[in-house]
Amino acid sequence: MADPRVDAYADALFAVAAAEGNLAAVEDELFQFAQALGSNDDLRAMLADGAVPAARRQQVVEDLLDGRASATTSALVSMVVAAGRAADLPAIIDAMVERSAASRNKAVATVRSAIDLSVDQRSRLEAAIHTSTGKEVEVKVVIDPSVLGGVVTEIGDDIIDGSVRRRLNQLRESFR
Amino acid sequence: MSQRRNRLAAAPLIAVLGLVALAGPAGASGESVGGCMAEHLAEAVEENHGDLEHTLHDEEVQKDLEKCFEAPNPILPETNEIIWGALSFGLLFFFMAKKGFPAVKGAMDARAERIASDLDAAEQAKIDARAVEADYQARLGDAKGEASRLIDEARGAADQLKADLSARAEADIADMRERAAADIESARQQAIADLRAEVAGIALGAAERVVQSSLDAEVQGRLIDAYIDEVAGSNG
Repeated sequence: MADPRVDAYADALFAVAAAEGNLAAVEDELFQFAQALGSNDDLRAMLADGAVPAARRQQVVEDLLDGRASATTSALVSMVVAAGRAADLPAIIDAMVERSAASRNKAVATVRSAIDLSVDQRSRLEAAIHTSTGKEVEVKVVIDPSVLGGVVTEIGDDIIDGSVRRRLNQLRESFR
Repeated sequence: MSQRRNRLAAAPLIAVLGLVALAGPAGASGESVGGCMAEHLAEAVEENHGDLEHTLHDEEVQKDLEKCFEAPNPILPETNEIIWGALSFGLLFFFMAKKGFPAVKGAMDARAERIASDLDAAEQAKIDARAVEADYQARLGDAKGEASRLIDEARGAADQLKADLSARAEADIADMRERAAADIESARQQAIADLRAEVAGIALGAAERVVQSSLDAEVQGRLIDAYIDEVAGSNG
């Protein structure tokens, strides 16, 4: 990790989630929140805006996550936002997820798909990736309608694109 | 020249003939009748010792007096006149021969020489004029030749300029035509590319909508399964 503060916050989140005993759920909720935050520029800008009082920003976070995530997840996100590190929140959560996977001797495979993958599909995909790359991975699914169909898998800097969007883009390139 | 000289020689002869022809009647002594009579009468009176009466009746005296009435020779002058005339003529001829004729001859020679000189000068002037005319003609010819050469050069330059301008205009036209053709071709290619992109966009939009409508949960599941099998089949 390039930024030691991001690393420190990731360690803190990992430690709290582990201490609370619901690491897997918190990790998944934080991952989903990070994906939602990455796709919503207005929300990210508002949470990172120093002119908005911290209490107001925390209130927005709590309102968003109320009923959708655990109290631990909401408290962790609220803590980061109150600390003025909302802009780094996606990087912090990614680092936290990687750390969590690393604690299980696994890497994180971010999978983008138009629909969610079933448990069987996830396990088979993890096995397929292990077969293909030799890495033990944990699949994190991001629902992305722009993929249209198929799957895009990102493991670190490696990308395995099997989406319909890529096929359409290839078709578009062939027209030029 | 010889004619003038003959005229000068005839002048004294004419003067002699005139003198002989026009000599008037005169007495032996060259005096008038009264004088002649008075002279004879005085001589007779003196011979008669002053006796006038006797003298007048003397026949000799009367004959002498009558002689005074006789007319002289109409042609031959008196001897003294001839002498004086000859002397005068000789003197005049000598003077004319010594002074007048050389002066006249000198004047005539000078005039003849001057006229000859003038004639020579005129001839020289004529020759000079002909030379000048020839030179003028030559210069005129040269000028005409030069003018003709200049006209030819100007005509040649004009023809060359015309040819150059024509060639340049043709080159410009060809260049403009080439550029216009290139522009047209570029515009055509751009239009084709734009049309192709637009058609591709329309086709892809239609294809995307068709794909989206056809991608139900079952198809999505099969696509994911196919992807998993593909990843599992690939090695590295």
